[in-house]
Amino acid sequence: MNAGRQLRVLGKNGRRRAVAIGLTVGMAVIVGACGSSSDTGSAAGAGTSDEPIVIGMSLPLTGPVADRAKPGYEGYQYWVKELNANGGMLGRQVELKVLDDGFDQRTAISDYTKLIGQDKVDLVLGTFSSDLNLAVAPIAERYNYVYVEPSGGADEIFERGFTKLFFAQPATTKKLPEQFVKMIEEAPEDQRPKTVAYVTAEDPNTTQLEEILKADLEALGLETVHSATYAADASNFDAIANAVKAAEPDLVVNGSIAQDGIQLIRSFQKLGFSPDMLYQTNTPTDPAFAEAIGPDNTEGILTYLAYSAEAAYPGNAEFVSGYEKEFGAPPSEDAANSYTAGQVLAAGVEAAGSLDQDAIAEWLHSNTVDTIVGPLSWDAAGASQGDMLLAQFQDGVLEVIGPPDAATTQKIIYKKPAW
Amino acid sequence: MTLLLQTLIFGVLTGGVYALMASGFTLIFGVMRVINLSHGALLILAAYLTWWVWDRTAIDPLLLGTGVSVVMYGVGWLLYKTVIARVQRIDPELTLVASFAFAIAAAGVIALVAGTEARAATPSYFNTSFHVGELVVPRAQLYACVGALAILGGLYALLHGTALGRGIRACATSRTGAELVGIDVERSMSQMFAIGCATTGFGGAALAVLYQFVPDSHYVWIGRILCVVVLGGLGSFAGAALGAAVLGIGEAMTAAYWDSRWITAVPYMLIIVILILRPQGILGARLRAGSGAP
Repeated sequence: MNAGRQLRVLGKNGRRRAVAIGLTVGMAVIVGACGSSSDTGSAAGAGTSDEPIVIGMSLPLTGPVADRAKPGYEGYQYWVKELNANGGMLGRQVELKVLDDGFDQRTAISDYTKLIGQDKVDLVLGTFSSDLNLAVAPIAERYNYVYVEPSGGADEIFERGFTKLFFAQPATTKKLPEQFVKMIEEAPEDQRPKTVAYVTAEDPNTTQLEEILKADLEALGLETVHSATYAADASNFDAIANAVKAAEPDLVVNGSIAQDGIQLIRSFQKLGFSPDMLYQTNTPTDPAFAEAIGPDNTEGILTYLAYSAEAAYPGNAEFVSGYEKEFGAPPSEDAANSYTAGQVLAAGVEAAGSLDQDAIAEWLHSNTVDTIVGPLSWDAAGASQGDMLLAQFQDGVLEVIGPPDAATTQKIIYKKPAW
Repeated sequence: MTLLLQTLIFGVLTGGVYALMASGFTLIFGVMRVINLSHGALLILAAYLTWWVWDRTAIDPLLLGTGVSVVMYGVGWLLYKTVIARVQRIDPELTLVASFAFAIAAAGVIALVAGTEARAATPSYFNTSFHVGELVVPRAQLYACVGALAILGGLYALLHGTALGRGIRACATSRTGAELVGIDVERSMSQMFAIGCATTGFGGAALAVLYQFVPDSHYVWIGRILCVVVLGGLGSFAGAALGAAVLGIGEAMTAAYWDSRWITAVPYMLIIVILILRPQGILGARLRAGSGAP
């Protein structure tokens, strides 16, 4: 359909390559059609057979991120199992063809090239980390395959002009604090904070967050009374906390990475400073959080979540209970993300009614898919336009308070009880 | 004025904690010329022991430090007998490598046994303070600071007021000479090393109350300890206390009056300045090559 435009974009060398690829694919179709019916990898768009649809992927199952890739793989496995139990895709069963790239970019590239070029898988799904997805996405694009990735939210990926890439997490960093800003905007006038202090760990994510929040909150009329950045491995926060206390802010925004957020709270406690509102990025989801700051002191603290097992999105509760039954542990964020990637791809295929990659991509670009991380839609570059969840500790539990369709409670604590 | 006083209080208290952590290290270096890089790992081990007992019995963690010190004395004695003494006979400088290897192995074993989750002991006073007018004095830090002074004083008294201490100092000056006058060098050395390690018992207990820790936290602490003793002068107790205070106050001042993102650079900046102006450390005696243990 838009092959002509693509050829123009590709330039002379690219055009030659595209012609070669076209010839190769054409040959493959002919060979595939001539091949015997026992040849499982032969589909290449032939949508009529009863053979299983093969979905290829390469995951970092060994190597440094193996511990996170394992639940990611399990998310995919669980998705396929559930899909097949419900009749599969286009009335056909689905099977996964999984290779291991050991968290190596070059292996990942050759794996996907092999899966698409040699094994002729019908569809592909994405791998883990921005690093690997950044390397693999151009391969899928070159072979004109839809590429739904469960991770890889770095800005760089969405600046490459990919046309068939879709990010299966709810939002990139740009949209991370949106629900929090909305909560403040909608707060009753007498409970809305007037002043804000930023205490930010030095990290690309958190510093970008501070910039975004500063702009948004100043637009809402909040005055910035203090702003400090600290090295991510700092551990003595008494003096830092004292400077925040001196500025007397109503709201403290702490772009924290890990233990730094806990040490900051402990220093606030020692100083007897308890802000009315506290928003922290990554620390409150740390399993040791409540123990380390005192279990009674979590009440009212706000944070964001990319995924919550409690979020009331359709299908989420079933996913959580089914996954736990299958693997004996609740799903991690990575497991949820790969399950979501599967949901997105399946929705596109069913809506397109075929394995035509162009039709799948076109439908995904112009529609919204209901997933366990909420309704997802994408801009032209494949960046998702969903919502990160806003969560708050209430009675010792992280409750989702926004967006409304995911909320697990209607209650919002605007003024945190003092420590 | 309040800000300055408050900043000084934070700095001195943090310095007190640093001095506590560094006391055993500087003792072992001062008399044995052994740079014990496993000191950080021993602190973390003590912190885990403290946390474990506190979690099950709710006994005050700083009091537990006394009991843990006894355990750490035993650990130190074993470490000396099985590792340090043996490699020291081959080449005294090998103790640097051997103790670092022990630290890495210890962190691995701790991770296997206790897991890699961050821990922290939180007795009732962990996040409370004494209030003096407008000034705030965090309680746990104050206790740790007092403990540090007591331990440094105790070690000084031990070295200068007891037969064991005199024997040890004799060994440090001349091993052969000490043997000639009838001192059991091997026994004195193992005692000294074990006492140095015993100080990590209280240090680890304070660490468990003041900070979160994971098995790998020892890298951070051995880095700070080295900084403290290099600043103050290797092997000098008063130097360790002074170096720790300089570091603590430097960090607090940086956060209060300059920019908090420079805090982690403070130790290195101080070391560079000290190495240029006074290479032996603030209170350190000049070391000549070949001095100390043969």
